[in-house]
Amino acid sequence: MHEMSVALEVCRLAEARLGTDAESLVALGVTVGDDAGVEPENLAFCLEALLAEPPFRGAAPRILRTPGDALHLTYLEVVDHDRPDD
Amino acid sequence: MTVRTIEVRERVMARNDEIAARVRARLAAAGVPTFNLVSSPGSGKTLLLERTLAEIGDGLRIAIVTGDVQTQNDADRLARHTDQLVQAVVTNGACHLDARQIETALEAIDLAATDLLFIENVGNLVCPAAWDLGENAKIALFSVTEGEDKPSKYPAMFRAARWVVFTKTDLLPHVPFSIERAMKLARAVNPMLGFLMTSSVAPHGLSEWFSFCRAQARRRRFE
Repeated sequence: MHEMSVALEVCRLAEARLGTDAESLVALGVTVGDDAGVEPENLAFCLEALLAEPPFRGAAPRILRTPGDALHLTYLEVVDHDRPDD
Repeated sequence: MTVRTIEVRERVMARNDEIAARVRARLAAAGVPTFNLVSSPGSGKTLLLERTLAEIGDGLRIAIVTGDVQTQNDADRLARHTDQLVQAVVTNGACHLDARQIETALEAIDLAATDLLFIENVGNLVCPAAWDLGENAKIALFSVTEGEDKPSKYPAMFRAARWVVFTKTDLLPHVPFSIERAMKLARAVNPMLGFLMTSSVAPHGLSEWFSFCRAQARRRRFE
């Protein structure tokens, strides 16, 4: 339950950052501290479920473990339609 | 297909903490000391508050916000002991209260006519530790019928708390619980913790708690 609240907030932050580009999200990284009170696998599971729904299109959650109580949305990976393939 | 990485590093709790800061400023401006009672289910939060309202509610104007996953049974129990408003927040499955819920609950509370505000959080020793509600301090209730090692098992909660209130101490002769060991384990997690002993059923079992409540209300009045 707690992880779902955290996952909802992560998705809200991602959507606020990307706006109408939310559907181009392919992955997001969340840093979870060992003392953050969040169960990483459970959080990843909740994020998977939410990121499968609009405005997202099945982006992959990546959990980054760290000591301490950090809980950050660390990065977003999006398809860049304006850049040619490398 | 080119994939671009956007560095964000945004705290997940940032929005809750912004609202909590607003709540804290509002309560400070109104001079209302506010305590967030956290514990595992069944530790005696509601009974402690019932007795507090019944015994010192005439002298102190105490407002309460209760959080429950389902039902408003706790709020109904408490409302029988006070004319002050008891605000019930039903979280509908969520395992903790958040600052937005407290900000909304405050809309219905006359802070000018309140000496002390208690928030009775959802019974859970994990999640409420992470959510700032704008309170002055978290108070962790610790029943002597629980394991002494709760502070070691749930360090985040005991780190977040400022006080530990031992409850059901009238049962100490009947349960294998050492207050000294529990305090030692709690201090190992948080050396700054203060401790209070209570029994909501023994005669004079709440005198230390009532003194604490009066002192908190008085302290804020003279700040």
